[in-house]
Amino acid sequence: MNKVEVRNLTKSFGDLLVLDDVSFDVKDGEFLAIVGPTGCGKTTFLNSLTQIYDIDSGSILLNGEPVNLKKHSLAYIMQEYSTMSWLNVRQNVQFGLEIKGFSRKEVREKAERALELVGLTQFRDYYPNQLSASMLQRVAIARAFAVQPDLLLMDEPYGQLDLELRFKLEDELLNLWRKLGTTVIFITHNIEEAVYLSERILVLSNKPTAIKETIENRLPYPRSVTSEAFVELRNRVTALIKWW
Amino acid sequence: MNRKKKRSFAGSRTEALVYGILSLVILLAVWHLVSLGGRIGKFFPSPFLVIRDFANAFVHAIGRNTMLEHIFFSLRRVLVGFGLGVVVGIPLGLVMACSKAGRAFFMPLFSIVRPIPGLAWIPLAILWFGLGEQSKYFLICMTALVGITMQTFFGALYADPVLIGAARMLGAGKFQLFVHIILPSAIPNIFAGLQGSFAGAWCAVIAAEMIRSDEGTGWIIFNGMNYANTAQVIVGMVAIGLVGLIASTLLKALERRLCAWNIQGK
Ligand SMILES: Nc1ncnc2c1ncn2[C@@H]1O[C@H](COP(=O)(O)OP(=O)(O)O)[C@@H](O)[C@H]1O
Ligand SMILES: [Mg+2]
Repeated sequence: MNKVEVRNLTKSFGDLLVLDDVSFDVKDGEFLAIVGPTGCGKTTFLNSLTQIYDIDSGSILLNGEPVNLKKHSLAYIMQEYSTMSWLNVRQNVQFGLEIKGFSRKEVREKAERALELVGLTQFRDYYPNQLSASMLQRVAIARAFAVQPDLLLMDEPYGQLDLELRFKLEDELLNLWRKLGTTVIFITHNIEEAVYLSERILVLSNKPTAIKETIENRLPYPRSVTSEAFVELRNRVTALIKWW
Repeated sequence: MNRKKKRSFAGSRTEALVYGILSLVILLAVWHLVSLGGRIGKFFPSPFLVIRDFANAFVHAIGRNTMLEHIFFSLRRVLVGFGLGVVVGIPLGLVMACSKAGRAFFMPLFSIVRPIPGLAWIPLAILWFGLGEQSKYFLICMTALVGITMQTFFGALYADPVLIGAARMLGAGKFQLFVHIILPSAIPNIFAGLQGSFAGAWCAVIAAEMIRSDEGTGWIIFNGMNYANTAQVIVGMVAIGLVGLIASTLLKALERRLCAWNIQGK
């Protein structure tokens, strides 16, 4: 079954054609990575899926129907900082849980779990203007993970983080994905990250953007970045994007 | 915590205090010297006389009321007029920011009213509401309304679309967006509007009381002028300055409590 169906998606900003007749599916429970040159429209795609942007033509279906943000359980970790400056860290993480109407106790517990996950437990009473860029991103990650969405959209979420934390959160993401059966669409610049995480990689072309290539990644989890098969696949993807 | 330490031009608190006292002493000294001299001296009472009269005014009535009563009358007028401005201005600003129809309806009206200085309403206020309290409330309200409405409007209008998107993604509906994103985004602006408008309202009450009243801080000044009592004029001005200072300090303290997230780290 398909979780997401993108059909003939076209989106332009004025004269600038960004997404040109793009079609692809994401299977239920699949981990999909999307890589592509800067400015090719990766963020535009996620913003179209989540109805932040209106699309020109084509359709995006979620569970076979048009996206309904109130009904469908999805979370979107944006490229920009999206923490609410008037809420402290804990309140930010609880935000989605409260909107979704969990009981007070559940809200507390789930938020605490998510804070622990991203290592912000001690900072739960801080306000965003007291935090560093990477901490802000972790707040957004915790907020998304806390609601245990069945579609998780991530737009270059780990770019700002130091390596150690990135590795930890990559593994955490894999755990979450496997435990909950969440469908994940993960946008990244980092080929190694894409190969490490995903079951399939979409390689996008320059504007006007189309899908240049789809690469299946059947390496068994947990993956080792130094294994021969891993390195080979990484090189294959890297070769594809040489022209960037 | 990366809260930066504020650097004041005078390194320490005591230093700042010393400079403050020094500037006050110099002001009083110069003032006193000028008051001794010839021609202006006649309309230039010594600071010590003013201070004495000011203190006296709390015990002995100026006109029919003591100083505290005068301040009370002025404050009551401001609070009623300003309160009306808040009660109308904040919802008006929010409606214009959040509803396209609301903006289309109110914006043209508001654009006409906005550039009219509050005091230009004096003649209409008198013609419509007479010389009593109502015209004062009206005048003060019109003065405060514009600033409050504008600040609320812009604060709500420019709520970060990324945050609105993030909240919608987590399932927030229109009402929840309003309560959880738009309103908090507007609060710093609303406070700026309240502070500016309060200063405007405090000006308007003085003007209103100069036109016609039997009491209030504006009356003290005007009455002093009529009787060539310069000390009384200055006593009234000092009272106005002090009350304005106290009010703005209170508003700032309130803002610091309600918008801790916005002020911290600044
Ligand atoms: N809101 C917008 N208005 C106009 N142009 C936009 C907007 N958002 C993105 N673009 C343009 O669309 C193209 C794709 O942007 P984006 O989706 O952010 O790329 P990326 O793949 O790096 O995430 C860029 O050329 C960008 O300038
Ligand atoms: Mg992007």
